[in-house]
Amino acid sequence: MSVEARGLPTPELTDESPDSLTTLDLFALGRQASAARDRQLGRRGTFVRARQLLASGGWRGPRDAAESTVEDADLAAIGGLPALRAAGIDLLVAPVDSSHVRAAAEAGLRILLRVPYRLGEDERERLDRLAALDRAAYDVWGVMPEPVGEPYGLDTLRFFALSRLALPRVPHLLADVGALGPRLAQMAFGFGADELFAPIVSERALRLGANAHNPSLTRKEAATLIRGAGLAPCERFADGTIEEIPA
Amino acid sequence: MTISFAQIRDKVRAAETLSFEDGVALYQHPNLMELGALANEVRERLHGDRTYFNRNLHINATNVCEASCRFCSFARLQPGDPAAYTMTLEEAWGKLRARVAANDPITEIHIVNGLHPGLAFDYYTDLLAGLKRIQPSIHLKAFTAVEIFYFAKKFGMSIEEVLQALRAAGLDSLPGGGAEIFAPRVRKKICDDKSDADEWLEVHRVAHRMGLRSNCTMLYGHIETAEERVDHMLRLRALQDETGGFQTFIPLAFHPDNNALMKLPGPTGVEDLRTYATARLLLHNIPHLKAYWIMLGIKTAQTALWFGADDLDGTVQEERIYHMAGAATPQVMHPTEIIRLIQNAGRTPVERDTLYNVVAEGAALIPDKPFRRDVRRSLEVVS
Repeated sequence: MSVEARGLPTPELTDESPDSLTTLDLFALGRQASAARDRQLGRRGTFVRARQLLASGGWRGPRDAAESTVEDADLAAIGGLPALRAAGIDLLVAPVDSSHVRAAAEAGLRILLRVPYRLGEDERERLDRLAALDRAAYDVWGVMPEPVGEPYGLDTLRFFALSRLALPRVPHLLADVGALGPRLAQMAFGFGADELFAPIVSERALRLGANAHNPSLTRKEAATLIRGAGLAPCERFADGTIEEIPA
Repeated sequence: MTISFAQIRDKVRAAETLSFEDGVALYQHPNLMELGALANEVRERLHGDRTYFNRNLHINATNVCEASCRFCSFARLQPGDPAAYTMTLEEAWGKLRARVAANDPITEIHIVNGLHPGLAFDYYTDLLAGLKRIQPSIHLKAFTAVEIFYFAKKFGMSIEEVLQALRAAGLDSLPGGGAEIFAPRVRKKICDDKSDADEWLEVHRVAHRMGLRSNCTMLYGHIETAEERVDHMLRLRALQDETGGFQTFIPLAFHPDNNALMKLPGPTGVEDLRTYATARLLLHNIPHLKAYWIMLGIKTAQTALWFGADDLDGTVQEERIYHMAGAATPQVMHPTEIIRLIQNAGRTPVERDTLYNVVAEGAALIPDKPFRRDVRRSLEVVS
């Protein structure tokens, strides 16, 4: 489904040529990326209660989830693309080099791509990779920057901003709480992100011991992070509607 | 009257002192990028791209503590508690001996402890003297103002007498801990039974008068309001106007695990950056702003280098206080990693000593070959 078909405004391309983005300082880059997001989606940040179909055929996440997802790596075990429709899957989460995404997109699934970045990469190299993604022959619903190795803060934020600015046809830029931690994921909203990617739970156990790095968030926590980033926190539902969470 | 960000920006650019109302307005300003960019202007005006770090060792000699601060995960109130510990002097000295034996050219030991009711004053003076015997050139940044005030009360000495005795034993400067939040409303709820704001400030006033330098801190992200944070910073600024003895302000992000406030969420990343940026703008007279990576996390600490901070603290080693509060950071960061972190932020790493004298920079910063001749000499084992 194209951006226009979803009723989203046609993205306005940035005045900057991609190469000149690499010379912008952190604040200019953040401002441009946020402005691009705001033009396209408004000053809102979303989250969704999702459940994931596992390779075992079982589900992780609430029964009444608004969205059903599957990871590309689990596709074969589940029975491939034909099995997804039967399972009611909405969203395929895949690496950029997945061989399934085109067929999945043609079959009507939304595609969320994990876009890797690693420390020490040249920003031009990153822009080249993003430009290749922008030329993809299928619609990408969203991208999610994925650090290879332990992410650095500034490196991550710059990559978020570049992703927003270099991919004007991709409506959604997601911040993965599991990969980035809640602090950095929240900061990403200042650099073009518009959705938190985290298990949304009704009651989260204290982050102690083995649970110390649990990325799950309650609705209230997700809303607090988004509101703290200066955006209106909204929950996304199965029918595509979104509802603002009151303060 | 509503204060606009443009008005504050004009004041900052004209090097005018910001007011309480300006500070509160900065906390409420919705545009973090604008706030960060202004704080970065001040940071770069003061330090350019230079970003400091040091090589240090933390010694927390005892966690037995009379105070019952609700945010603390480190203290054990009774000596018999299974998790309570008190190092023998040999154990504490052994920490430094191990670093010397490993040819680790640390320049500072940071010592902070619980308020142990059973230790004699000699324990502390012997601790310092023994460390100096092992490595005379080591800088001993030891005992928070809360500890100094406790010693004065417990041992019937004046603050000045305590500091003189510790200085004679080897004390070189004071760390900034124990300030928490000065507002009585907050102190009453989170740390009612230790020195209050006036007492904390008085210890630093006396230390500065004696020629000792010190740091200052603020524990944020628990039950305090933006107004109380601003009030805290302005009280520090007022003392700095009077004495000029503070080197560095260190905002400390509250960690909610393993303590009585564990139901609180703790500060978010944006709150961290906002606090750093606001501090840089309000505290024009305190030269350095430290992003203490142990508490902030490495990712946020690096980001703070563009939101006002110019210092990452050091290699640390063996920090216990915040790790017992759930800090997920490593116990030690190698200089190579610190340098890479700073360079990745587009900044210039400078290795400093505690007093911000340059130890190494530029080509002299060779993280994998850390032993410069002068440092090697200082590592001679004296005892």
